[in-house]
Amino acid sequence: MNSFKRDKKEEEDGGGNPFQNMEKTTVLQEARTFNDTPVNPRKCAHILTKILYLINQGEQLGTTEATEAFFAMTKLFQSRDVILRRLVYLGIKELSPIAEDVIIVTSSLTKDMTGKEDLYRAAAIRALCTITDGAMLQAIERYMKQAIVDRSPAVSSAALVSSLHLTSISGDIARRWANEAQEALNSDNVMVQYHALGVLYQARKTDKHAVTKLVSKLTRTSMTSPYAACMLIRMACKLLEEEDGNGELLDFVASCLRHKSEMVVYEAAHALVNMGKSSTRELAPAISVLQLFCGSLKPALRFAAVRTLNKVAMSHPAAVTACNLDLENLIADPNRSIATLAITTLLKTGAESSVDRLMKQIATFVSEISDEFKVVVVQAIRALCQKFPRKHAVLMNFLSAMLRDEGGLEYKAAIADTIIAVMEGNSEAKEAGLAHLCEFIEDCEHISLAVRILHLLGQEGPTSKQPSRYIRFIYNRVILECASVRAAAVTALARFAAACPPLLPNILVLLSRCQLDSDDEVRDRAAYYCAILQQQFDPTTLSLVQPPLLSIPSLERALNNYVSSPMEEPFDISQIPPAQTVEEPTQPEILATAKQQQSRLSREETFMEKLAQVPQLALVMSKSPLFKSSPVVELTESETEYNVKCVKHSFSNHLVLQFDCLNTLSDQLLEDVRVAIEPPEGYRVVYEIPCLRLAYNEPGTTYTVLEFPEDVHASIATIPTTLRFMARDCDPTTGVPDAEQGYRDEYMLEDLEVTLADQMRGVGKQGVDFNAAWDAGATRGFSELEETFVLGASVTTLEGAVQSLVGFLGLEAVERSHRVATDAVGHTLLLGGIFRGGKEVLARARLALADSQVTMQLSVRSSDPDVAELVTSSVG
Amino acid sequence: MGLFDRLANIFGLRKKEVNVLVVGLNNSGKSTVINHFKREEERCIDIVPTVGFNVEKFAFKNVHFTAFDMSGHDRYRSLWEHCYKDCQGIIFLIDSSDKLRLVVAKEELDMLLQHPDIIGRKIPILFLANKMDLLDSLTTVKLVAGLGLERILDKPWHIRATNAVNGEGLQPAIEWLTDQIRDIYINKR
Ligand SMILES: Nc1nc2c(ncn2[C@@H]2O[C@H](COP(=O)(O)OP(=O)(O)OP(=O)(O)O)[C@@H](O)[C@H]2O)c(=O)[nH]1
Ligand SMILES: [Mg+2]
Repeated sequence: MNSFKRDKKEEEDGGGNPFQNMEKTTVLQEARTFNDTPVNPRKCAHILTKILYLINQGEQLGTTEATEAFFAMTKLFQSRDVILRRLVYLGIKELSPIAEDVIIVTSSLTKDMTGKEDLYRAAAIRALCTITDGAMLQAIERYMKQAIVDRSPAVSSAALVSSLHLTSISGDIARRWANEAQEALNSDNVMVQYHALGVLYQARKTDKHAVTKLVSKLTRTSMTSPYAACMLIRMACKLLEEEDGNGELLDFVASCLRHKSEMVVYEAAHALVNMGKSSTRELAPAISVLQLFCGSLKPALRFAAVRTLNKVAMSHPAAVTACNLDLENLIADPNRSIATLAITTLLKTGAESSVDRLMKQIATFVSEISDEFKVVVVQAIRALCQKFPRKHAVLMNFLSAMLRDEGGLEYKAAIADTIIAVMEGNSEAKEAGLAHLCEFIEDCEHISLAVRILHLLGQEGPTSKQPSRYIRFIYNRVILECASVRAAAVTALARFAAACPPLLPNILVLLSRCQLDSDDEVRDRAAYYCAILQQQFDPTTLSLVQPPLLSIPSLERALNNYVSSPMEEPFDISQIPPAQTVEEPTQPEILATAKQQQSRLSREETFMEKLAQVPQLALVMSKSPLFKSSPVVELTESETEYNVKCVKHSFSNHLVLQFDCLNTLSDQLLEDVRVAIEPPEGYRVVYEIPCLRLAYNEPGTTYTVLEFPEDVHASIATIPTTLRFMARDCDPTTGVPDAEQGYRDEYMLEDLEVTLADQMRGVGKQGVDFNAAWDAGATRGFSELEETFVLGASVTTLEGAVQSLVGFLGLEAVERSHRVATDAVGHTLLLGGIFRGGKEVLARARLALADSQVTMQLSVRSSDPDVAELVTSSVG
Repeated sequence: MGLFDRLANIFGLRKKEVNVLVVGLNNSGKSTVINHFKREEERCIDIVPTVGFNVEKFAFKNVHFTAFDMSGHDRYRSLWEHCYKDCQGIIFLIDSSDKLRLVVAKEELDMLLQHPDIIGRKIPILFLANKMDLLDSLTTVKLVAGLGLERILDKPWHIRATNAVNGEGLQPAIEWLTDQIRDIYINKR
């Protein structure tokens, strides 16, 4: 009571937070009070609260500090004060990841969890599970099983949720406790039912068949818990995603639209519209439910509905137009988030004529909404630019105004991304876009964004109408910004110099000034570019200024190999695979916020690491770097006794087949496993590396090394494969094989194809000038072949033709020529890359569309005439 | 504090609370003994090896005991000493049928007696020669010799053969401890 009064007084004094200005060491000192007898519950509860507060404020405790506090805290178990005890549970949970020997409270917690005090039991279970490690798990298993089926819903829920957490310690916990969970599923408490379903799902998660059975059983009974029903909908959707054509599941989801709980109705509608495969007609019932929610009195429902509609509008604008009237009403919603979503949805579904009006409406409150929703607006504008290219001026202006506003990195990056995307999609917008971006970097506090924009300017600026106008903006960065921005600016300048000879003398002056910079990196770059650019101008300079993005680990390995060789021939850089470039998803759904997830290692790099672990492969690996790794090819049906997948690794002259095998029979142990192949004509099997032991459910790998045929034409082939092994029967539970000798057995696998795409790849020079390279090819004595094809019936669009050609050849599209303009009837696809062994290949495909039939004129130039012939002959 | 409490305090009638520490090697029967002291309706049915420790409460002759039932497993024996400071009595359990580990029990006892928080303190120690029902269990005389109990001069101690399963011998044993504690701590206060 006293403290309450004091707090109130402090509040009036303006000193709100009683925990302000606490010091970690002082508080930990106070924790010694825990050792006093008898325990003073009120005092100890206060101190414990302080400790919890500190930890939750991000204060770091050392192991010793935490352990001491933890030990002192264990003394509090002698108090019977309920509040204090529950704080102790929290303390245990917070300290258990840091302190040592936390399992000493196991018995005390087990006692509380099985005791009579209901206020203790659920919380004790949660605390117990956080301190339990693999070794202790067995000791508590019995209690946990009992708790799952306990009469008290709180206890049962706590035990169910904890068993989900425990799966990180022991993967099969959920399966071992599935019987109890099954019983809990019959509980009439909504939460228990939901949590039990969660555990049952976890138990079956890896076995699709079992999930299907569970779902189809439960869809027939009706779930009383709305939470469980929502989860069931999600499980059904996941199954539907994996296999289509399960009408029963779809009917179930659709029937949930008539559920009596709004939550379930929403979940079902959300699921239906997100299923991707649904057609506009199938969407109609879901959309009308959402439409109904738009008029709800509950803001949360309105929000959920409009947010979902907003998303659907990207893929199925026509389906959403039915809600236009309801959405118009929501523009005036007192909740700004709802209003924003309503407007941006209308922008997607509305006609071109309404764009101006809606943009004006957004402008009135765009400054009031949070960054997250500003990003939604940006997204909508991005979609609009694609839909109405003629509106780009209005929209660009709007974007640049937004760019000047306050905002976080993510928001600004989304705007910059949108401007860049608009520029790429619409050449008319390029000049304006670059101008807006230049203006933006004049005053941009986000370093990473400034660096990206400078990079873009360096790439796009030189080919604009008036390159010289960008130089001032870029050079200003060198004067005004931090080191990393300055370095990026120097590189951008160098690109202008290399690509626009008239600018060279002036830029050289600027670059020589940069050589006086205080930062090492900036100086180094400037010195490097000055040195290259001062040499006589020739086209090769460009690739030095703008080097291809090579895979660094592969380059390192190749250089190491080269250094240990006699080094008689010059180092061949064309052997090095490019660094992986992440293609932006070209789905209809445009997510401006989707961060480009740059995986640190490319496929080849990861495989290279893996192959380097196999000593027998060292010989092949030392001769040339890994040229290309194919996607995974399944050689078996998915649910068979043995599962074999293949990855084809191409080297200059060798083909390494990596077979990943899985034995799904628990009563068999396989030994000496290999994949026998019949080498096609011209191929030679160099050696096999068998997998010595393939136990149940433990993946194993065997390799076969082949030499490519001399004649490249023979390299495209079909290889019959068979799995051969020594099988031994074993005890399914222990995996120990019987004493008797095994028997030889074999198992037929699917044929393996070696394709053109396995042997060709791009070189990561996104910015190359195709025409220059094409012409240079002629002067360098490349042989050229040209042929005309009519593409098969499966290809009916230009996009389809581009996609299948890129996939078939394995080359890389340059100058963004893989993007086909909408409604175009003709397109030219430009491809570049190399054939294994470093043979350059260029290809130009002129495509024409007439009556859903695509005709293609394909010209190929290559440094090796056989390769050129191989390409044209295998397309036909 | 109300008037009655104050009066009660003067006449030594106030509820007395003491802490006792229950130690001994694992499997000697500590948890079983404590369980027996609890009221019938509070007892647990099955007793499993203790992990860490457990706090139990029971009352005897108007003295309220808080017993720290420690684990005797070697991994957790180091926890014992954390409780030495605040306890007013010690119950030391010996499994009298476990001849093999009697030396281990002696070693632990010696360490306890030499601990700074125990040495020189007049603290009563109750030794329970548990599992007396088992055939080849040692007699208390043999245990006194085996553990060297006659060396303990500055602390009151007492040894008693017990059977924690049916409670035989426990009543007089706890009676002794209660009287000692009453003499040393409560009546002095
Ligand atoms: N025959 C017999 N068995 C006993 C006696 N006292 C305890 N036990 C049994 O001895 C086993 C161990 O008892 P606990 O009470 O768990 O031993 P503890 O000393 O608490 O062991 P930790 O907690 O591991 O240190 C149990 O199976 C008891 O039933 C006794 O007097 N006679
Ligand atoms: Mg015990």
